[in-house]
Amino acid sequence: MKLNPTLRSLLVAGTCWLGVIGTAGAWTLEEAAKPYAGTTVDVVFLLRPGYEAAEAMLPEFEEKTGIKINIIKHPYENALGEQVRDFVANGDLDIALIDLVWIGNFAENDWLLPISEFTSNPELADPDLDIDDFFPLVLNAFGGWNGEVYGLPFDNYSGLLFYNECMLKDAGFDGPPGTWSELKDTYGPALTKDGKYAFALQSKRNETQSADSFARVLWPFGGSFLDDDFKSNLMSAESQAGLKFRQDLMQYMPEGIVAYDHAEAVNALAQGDVAMLTEWSAFYSTLKSPDTSKVADCLKIAPEPSGPAGRKPALGGFSLAVAAQADEKERAASWLFIQWVTSKANALEYLERGGVPARQSVYEQDGVAEKYDFVPALVESWQDGVPEFRPRFAEWPEITEIVQEWGSKIMLGEVSTEEGAEELGKRMEAVLEEAGYYSGEKPLAQ
Amino acid sequence: MPVNASSGTIRRSTILAFLGPSVVTLLVIGIGPLLYAVWTSLHYFNLTKLKKVKFIGMENYASVLTDSVFWEALGRTFLLLVISLPIQLAIGLGIALLLHQPGVGFLKTLTRLSLVLPMATTYAVVGLLGQVMFNLKYGVVNQLIGFVGFDPVNWIGDPTNAFIAITFWDIWQWTPFVALVLLAGLTTVPSEIEEAAKLETKRWFTVLRYVQLPFLIPALTAVLILRTADTLKLFDMVFTMTRGGPGSSTELISLMIQRVGFRSFDQGLASAQAIILLIITIILSQLYIRLLYKEV
Amino acid sequence: MRNAQAGPAPRGMGVQILLMLLVILFCVFPFYWMVTTSLKTQILALESPPVWIFEPTLANYSEVLLKDGVGTTLINSLIIAVSTTLLAVLLGCPAAYALARFEFRGKRDLWFWFITNRMVSPIVLALPFFLIVRKIGLLDTHLVLILIYLTFNLPIVIWICTDQFRSVPYDLNEAAMLEGASQWRIFRSICLPLAVPGVAVSSIFSFIFSWNELMYALVLTRNNAKTAPAMAVSFMEGYNLPYGKIMATSTLIVIPVIVFALIASKHLVRGLTMGAVK
Repeated sequence: MKLNPTLRSLLVAGTCWLGVIGTAGAWTLEEAAKPYAGTTVDVVFLLRPGYEAAEAMLPEFEEKTGIKINIIKHPYENALGEQVRDFVANGDLDIALIDLVWIGNFAENDWLLPISEFTSNPELADPDLDIDDFFPLVLNAFGGWNGEVYGLPFDNYSGLLFYNECMLKDAGFDGPPGTWSELKDTYGPALTKDGKYAFALQSKRNETQSADSFARVLWPFGGSFLDDDFKSNLMSAESQAGLKFRQDLMQYMPEGIVAYDHAEAVNALAQGDVAMLTEWSAFYSTLKSPDTSKVADCLKIAPEPSGPAGRKPALGGFSLAVAAQADEKERAASWLFIQWVTSKANALEYLERGGVPARQSVYEQDGVAEKYDFVPALVESWQDGVPEFRPRFAEWPEITEIVQEWGSKIMLGEVSTEEGAEELGKRMEAVLEEAGYYSGEKPLAQ
Repeated sequence: MPVNASSGTIRRSTILAFLGPSVVTLLVIGIGPLLYAVWTSLHYFNLTKLKKVKFIGMENYASVLTDSVFWEALGRTFLLLVISLPIQLAIGLGIALLLHQPGVGFLKTLTRLSLVLPMATTYAVVGLLGQVMFNLKYGVVNQLIGFVGFDPVNWIGDPTNAFIAITFWDIWQWTPFVALVLLAGLTTVPSEIEEAAKLETKRWFTVLRYVQLPFLIPALTAVLILRTADTLKLFDMVFTMTRGGPGSSTELISLMIQRVGFRSFDQGLASAQAIILLIITIILSQLYIRLLYKEV
Repeated sequence: MRNAQAGPAPRGMGVQILLMLLVILFCVFPFYWMVTTSLKTQILALESPPVWIFEPTLANYSEVLLKDGVGTTLINSLIIAVSTTLLAVLLGCPAAYALARFEFRGKRDLWFWFITNRMVSPIVLALPFFLIVRKIGLLDTHLVLILIYLTFNLPIVIWICTDQFRSVPYDLNEAAMLEGASQWRIFRSICLPLAVPGVAVSSIFSFIFSWNELMYALVLTRNNAKTAPAMAVSFMEGYNLPYGKIMATSTLIVIPVIVFALIASKHLVRGLTMGAVK
């Protein structure tokens, strides 16, 4: 946006003035919510720890505001379809739950409102919003698209290496592997014996195959899905090295790893059947609780191993954004909820209840890093990651299906890494062609 | 037999009154959406790109017909059909004959009642149960085959075994149905004829072939049509058990169409696939009817 | 009961009994396993090898019923399945009667068209239906599922009942017609009572198919009209597989339909003769 200098200074002055009023009247959630008491906000939640945490915190919000939050629970695998159908049909959802790979799609369909609609409204914007307190990478990747911020990071993950320290010690290792090749060549053979396996890489044919398995071996080896011209980069030496590495590594994984989703992989570590697992930070509570994990005492956490191209941990997570289809009141009420649940003030409670906030300030508080031993690794992962770990453009839902199909075929040995990558690339390019990236119709943004 | 003796006395309006409501209902709820699906199949119609909907003629059909993934899924579906249908027919006929035998009344009633269990069990639940029972580590199936000395089998994680597992479930669920339909068919055999035949020969196969089988033809046709159509539609059980995996090893045609239409959101392509599937189903059903009901 | 032989040979009967016991075991075992798993805690359910004797708990049931609201979805399923079955019988019986008793041009084609509806894969209709239903504001209502389930229930009723009506002796019709009874009266007072087994068996199937349906329920309902199978599937989050809860929900879904099917099962064999229009 280009403004002439006079206008800009006027605006700045105006904002300051409003700011003064704001502090004088001291913005409170109760005040801000008054006009919206009785409004019902519909939102999709998943059956995951971060959502249970938020649900447990809800009564406080509803009591303060009189706004009713109506939660519709879906498993992850259905959440995209449910929301797309709702938005297409101009349905009831007031808040969009956005996995980072859906944001391009939702934004290009005009299903979301940018947060500036609300941050520019002093009656709705919490002066303590402090948007810069979010990890910039996370805010940009989970909530931003094309230079605009739509969602605030809510349920946030980074890939971490969870390992069973006891098993590693027994095999003579003092610490976790630092690199992927170390993991395979040294730890792999030493830890795979007596029905136990060194490693598990959840690879079920759904988003898990794309995000947790395929992309995870591309980036650290210098590969990527697309090159600068948006053509397939899967045939490059680096990408191929990554995919071949995965094939090699499979000998140290349990049988049938292609059918492992998160639940199976986490359970394998929790039961002491595998020694190491790269998984989302969100599983910390499951693996650390003696109710669900036999190895709670042995559990340790490190950043994901690095490859020749550095440490490129998996990045994933969800933001909440106001849906464009909501009416005036629902929009305001939705914003107040999003702002509240992701706020700096609530970050600690969210963390304590099993969520993982994306607020930098909470991890700097005394004792947090000691109490939650995943914090150092998490913070390190969020310092620099690859936002396009999986491309976030509108075509991802189609592309991920192709990746899932051919990625699984490669793992099962039905096609070689070259054949699979070639077919995958061809099909991926057909989707991008159709979308208009090659004709210059669409900017090359991922 | 409803001979056409008095049809002249029945007015058109009476026939319309009897048939009209159901014809209209099915036209509205069945054919209406179907026509819409035909329309969709002629367009580029992606749910997440509704701004770009455009007419593309037969392009979707062309890409379906040339896509190896479509044909592989169809082939897999027919493979399931040609493996499980004969087994269902054989075991089903065996059970029907067993229950048709005289004697042991109580146990027979009990057997007939237990046959109702599998076919009434919610298909999605069968798949969920499959996840539990066929699990490599916690599954009871591996425990049971362990008792007879087999090593644990990786059912759900191995492409071939996963296919075997869904085939087994299909047989479990639908053999009882086949048995009940055939049993009903056997009751239509006039008892005098059957008894006379049994007095003449001791070979049950001869009785079956020359006396009972002709009466079983309608039941067999019904079973063939229903099982073929249902296999081509089969979704719930496989979806909840393997989701088509591992790889594509259990991705039947309906799972594939669901994936294209509701996960890639390409409704145009998915509609084209579904309509081709429908045409195949209709051709097959016609074939069955023509071949088996010779007297028509 | 026929009694061709005076008494079966004892050895033959032994085999017969053994085979029947095998059939019973084959049919009942998965069901047994589902129920026992639903009575296990998550830790027990993940025991390797599986345990057969344990202290049962009802915790899974109280959780799915009290916390997750499975009860409401069961009621939804019941409302939908009963209504659509009644409607299918109401619409289908007269049509079946017409196909069995009247002669008119295109009868065979009409019959085949009815049956074809049964073969349409739900995937073909699910999305068009979704878009249409959304437009008229009926999304997530019982009515939508009641109507769309007619696409497979009506053909089943017509198929089975046509055959039943044909087996009703024709002289009854003629006698009544001589007395001047209308076709509707003949249908209602004479033929329908004699076709009860067919009506019963087609109702059983309608109910079972509707109760068990998943695809339409997933696409067309969200909250208000969510059916029990759709609920069971929604526990399948890749993050965590609560086997006990899933099996408890499954048991709750399966029990009513099985009880219903068992009660009605004496009609099953009599009504299942499924002929075609001749």
